Amino acid sequence: MEKTPKYPNPALYRAKNNIDWKAQWKNFKEVAGIFGGMLKETDWKKFGQDWVETLKADGKRISEEYRAFAACTPEEKLEAIRYGEKHLGRLYREGCFAPVRREWRGVKDTIYDFYEWARLWGVLLTTFSKDLVPALNSALYYRWMISYFCCHSFMDKNLMGLRGSNLRMSHELTLCMFRYAAENLVLLAKGDAKNGNSAELNKKVVLFDEMTMSQIMGGFPDLIGIPYQLFPVFMVSEMDQLICVPYIDAVESFGLPADTCPVPSSECGSLVLDALPHMGSCFISSSMPCDGSVMASSYVARRFPDLPVYHLCFPVRYEDEKTLDAAVQDVKDCIRFVEEQTGAKWNWDAYFESIRRFNTETQYELQKWEVNKTNYPQLIGPSVELYRKWNYEMDGGLDPRTIKSCKKVDKLLMKAYEQKEEAWRNKMRYRAIVWSCPPHYYANFSNWLANCWGVNVVVEMESLNFTKPLETEDKDEALRDLARLYERMVMRRHTNGGYHNVVTELWKQCEEWNANIVIMWQHVACKNMATVQGILDEQGRELGLHLIWIPHDLMDPRTVSRRTMRDTVSSYMRTVMNAEPIDESLLDFADDVTM
Amino acid sequence: MQKEGVTLKDLKHLIYFESLLEDANNELVRQAHEEGGVTLGYTCFHIPEVLLNVDRCFSVRLRAPKTGSLDIATYYMSNYTCDYARALVERAIEGGYQFLDAMIGVDACSAMNRAMEHFEILNVNEKPDFFVTHTDMPLKVTDYYIDSYVEQMRVNVLDRLTEVFGVDTSDAALRAAVREHNEMCAIISEIGEMRKAEKPIITGYEFHIMNLVSYTCPTRLILPYLRETLVELKTRKPDSKSPFRARVAIVGSEIDDPSLTKLIEDVGALVVSDRYCFGSTPGREVIELNDEEDALKQICRHYMEVGECARYISDEKVQQRRDTADRLAREFHADGIIYEQMKYCDYWGFERALASHVVHEEYGWPVLSIDRVYSNGSSGQLRTRVQAFVESLEIKRIQRERGAV
Repeated sequence: MEKTPKYPNPALYRAKNNIDWKAQWKNFKEVAGIFGGMLKETDWKKFGQDWVETLKADGKRISEEYRAFAACTPEEKLEAIRYGEKHLGRLYREGCFAPVRREWRGVKDTIYDFYEWARLWGVLLTTFSKDLVPALNSALYYRWMISYFCCHSFMDKNLMGLRGSNLRMSHELTLCMFRYAAENLVLLAKGDAKNGNSAELNKKVVLFDEMTMSQIMGGFPDLIGIPYQLFPVFMVSEMDQLICVPYIDAVESFGLPADTCPVPSSECGSLVLDALPHMGSCFISSSMPCDGSVMASSYVARRFPDLPVYHLCFPVRYEDEKTLDAAVQDVKDCIRFVEEQTGAKWNWDAYFESIRRFNTETQYELQKWEVNKTNYPQLIGPSVELYRKWNYEMDGGLDPRTIKSCKKVDKLLMKAYEQKEEAWRNKMRYRAIVWSCPPHYYANFSNWLANCWGVNVVVEMESLNFTKPLETEDKDEALRDLARLYERMVMRRHTNGGYHNVVTELWKQCEEWNANIVIMWQHVACKNMATVQGILDEQGRELGLHLIWIPHDLMDPRTVSRRTMRDTVSSYMRTVMNAEPIDESLLDFADDVTM
Repeated sequence: MQKEGVTLKDLKHLIYFESLLEDANNELVRQAHEEGGVTLGYTCFHIPEVLLNVDRCFSVRLRAPKTGSLDIATYYMSNYTCDYARALVERAIEGGYQFLDAMIGVDACSAMNRAMEHFEILNVNEKPDFFVTHTDMPLKVTDYYIDSYVEQMRVNVLDRLTEVFGVDTSDAALRAAVREHNEMCAIISEIGEMRKAEKPIITGYEFHIMNLVSYTCPTRLILPYLRETLVELKTRKPDSKSPFRARVAIVGSEIDDPSLTKLIEDVGALVVSDRYCFGSTPGREVIELNDEEDALKQICRHYMEVGECARYISDEKVQQRRDTADRLAREFHADGIIYEQMKYCDYWGFERALASHVVHEEYGWPVLSIDRVYSNGSSGQLRTRVQAFVESLEIKRIQRERGAV
C-alpha cells in the first residue's frame, strides 16, 4: 500500500531562505532602539510599585480563596477537589492581559489539562523549530506575531469551566487549530520578502483571500494554499481583542468610512501599516462573503502590484442553479490561473483523495450536530466553533492528520453521549442558537454564557454551511460541487442569496435544535444582517422565541466592550427570564485589556 | 437672437422638469399608465433600462423625493445602512409606490437587495399581479458571466413580463426599444457635451434635472420636451462672465438629489461631469446594435462593459474606473474631482478612500473626498467642505497663472 505523503510537504520547510542579513541587522537596531526608548521612558519606581501591588493582590486572592475553601462543608470541599472551582470571575483582574492563574478543574481534569498544555507547547516548539530564525524574526516586524505567543492563554480562556469529555474533545480540536496556525506562521515567515525571502518556497505558495477555503488546492498537491490575511488579522483578532485597533485607526485615517465592517477594514489597515508579509506566487481574491470583503482585494492589488491576482467572483443568488455554469467556468479559470502562475498541473487523483477526506470530516461534523440536537449535547463551547472555522473549513481535507483527531473526538463524543454526560457540569439550563456574525474580540462568549447563566450554545450560524458530500468521481459534477461549496461558505451561505437564507433558516434551525433562545449578534457594521433586523425581530416574537440582541463591532472593542455585551445578556436573563446566575462572580469583572 | 447676457436665460421647461421630480408617480408616469402602459420600477444601473421600455412597458427609476423621517425603515433595516435603500422602503411603506406594476430588482448590493425584499415581505403594493424580481448580477465581465447575466435578464425579467402582462419581448421589440432609448441618450449626451465649453450654456444643476427626468419618466413622453430643450439650448447664450470660480467633476455612488448639485454650484463650483449612479456616465451612451447577434446579449454586454459600479472588482474594471474619472475631468476641463459616497455604501466607501488617493497621486487631480446622506440640500457641513475645496482650486489656479510648477 502506498504511503500517504507527509503533510505539509517537508520540502516546503526545507526551502532555501535568502535572508538579507544587512536588512535584518538594520531592523533589529531599529526595534532595539524602540525598546531602548521604552526602557528609558519607563518609570521604574512606578513599575516596582505595580509589582508590589500585584503581589499584594495575589496574596489577598490566595487568602480569600483559602478562606472560601475553608468555609465549605466537607461535601463541598470534596466536590471542589473532584470537579474543580465554581467562581471563575476570580481568574480575572483589572488591567491584566491574561487570567491571574490557570483554572482548577478537579484533580483528574487538571492533570489532563496540564498534559494537553504541555502537548501544545510540544507541537508549537516542534513546528517553529522547522525554521526557527525567520519565524522568530517575524516578531521583530509584526505586532500580530507577538500575540501568537499567548496562544496558551487563549486556549485556557476557551476551555474555562469545561470538564470531562467536553474538555478532552475541546483540547484535541484546539491542538488541530494551533498546529495549522503554527505551520502556516512558519511558512509566512519564510516566504516574506522582508524576512526569509525564500524564492523556492514562494513559487509553491498560492495566497487566498481570508475566509476563502482551500479545497481547490487539493488538486495541486505540490503547492500550498495559505489564507493570506487569516493569520495577521482574522485569527489573531480572536486571540487578542486589541490587535486590530491600530489597523482600523490607520485605514480610517487613510479615508475609509468608520461604518464599514472591521474585517475588510482591518485587512486594508494591515496593508496601510505594512503588516502583511510580501510573498507568494499569486493571490486568489474572492467575492466572499459581503460587499466590504469584495472591495478589500483592490487594496491588496494596490499594495503589492507585482502579485498576480485572480478574482474568484461567484454568483450571489447561488440557489438559482442557472448561475452555476458561470461559477464552474470561474473555477476552471482559477485553476488555469494557478497553473500559469506556478507551473503546477491540476491533479484529479489528488483532488478526489483530499475531497474524500473532507467528506469524511463533514460526516464527523454532522455526527456532532446529531448529538448536540439531542437532550444531551456533548461538544459545545468556543473550541468547536473555532475548530470548524480555522481547521475544518480552511484546511478543507488537505491535512490527513485531521482525520485522526476527528476519530478521536468522535469516539469521546459517542461515549459521553451514551453515558449522558453533562457538557457543562451542572450548568445545563437553556439551549441557545447563536446567529449572525460573532464578535472576534469575544471569541469565548459562549463559554461565559454557559458558566454564568447556564445558556448552552448548541450551534452557531457560521457552522451551518454546505454539508452535501462532494463528488469524488465525475469530474464535471466535482467542479459543480466545488462551486456550490464555495458559494455556500461561511457567512456567505446566510448573508447572500436572499433573506430566506438568514431569516427563515433561523426559525428552521431553532426547531431542529430545540432551542428557544437566540443569541442574536448585532454587528453594527454588517449591512447584510442589519438590513433584516426588523424582520428577525418581528417574526421571532411571533414564534415566541427569546431573541437577545447583543451589539458589537466585530474587531473593535472600543465601540461595544465585552462588559457591555455581558450586561446585555444579564439584563435580559434577569428581567425577562427571571433567572438567577449560576456563577455570580462572572456577572461583573474587568477584562477591558485582557487578551 | 439672444445676446450674451449677464445671466443665462431660463429654460422653458426647467420648472416643469423640476415639478416632475417632486413625485415618483409624476404626471407623465400617470399618463403613460392611463394609456395602458405597464409601470416597472427599478433602482440599479445593472437592470438595463432599455429592457424595461419594451413594448408597452415603461421604466421608472425610483427616487424618494421629499424624504423626511426614516423611522420605520430604520426599524427594519437599522440606521447603519444606505439612506437611499431606507428611503425607498420608507416611501414604499407609506404607499408611495402603489403605482408600480412590478419592481425589477437586482442583487447587486446588499442594502438594495434587502430593500427590494422588504417590498415583498411587507406587501407594500396591493396590485394582484405585482411582483419583485431578484436577479443575479455578476461581479466581473467575462464571456460566461455575460451569458449568465443574459439568462438572468431573459428568465427573471423578460419572460416574467410576458407571462404576467403579455408583453412582447421579442428581438424586434427590444430593437425598437433601443431605437427610442438611443434617441433619448443622444439628446442627453449632446446636452451634456455643452458643459465642455469654456463658458457653458447650461449649468450642472440644469443638466442634472434633465438627466433625472430622463430616468424617471416614460421615455416616449419625455422625449418631446427634451428635443425642444436641445433646440432651445443651441441658441442659448452664455453668461458674459461666469459666476463660477471653479469646475468640478463628480465621481461616486448614487445621487438622485439635484439639490446636491445645486449646493455645489451655489458655492461656486460648476459641475461639469456626472460620473455617478443616476448620472449620465454611464447610462446615457447610445447602444450600438448589430444585426447578426441577439439584441438582448448585445444590450447586456453593453451595460456590463460601460458599467462603472465599484462592485466590479477585477483589475481591468478598477483601472477603467480610475481612467474614466481622469478622462472625464480632462475632457470637461475640470479643475478638480469630487469623490462622493452615499453614507453606509460599502462598495463606494472602499473605492472612494483608495481612488481619491490614486487619482490625486497618479493622475495629479485635486480631490475632495466626501460621504453624504440621501438628501443634502441643507447640509452646512458639506457646503463648508465644498467651499474650502473651491478656494483651494482657486489658489492652485492663481499659483499656476503666476508660473508655479
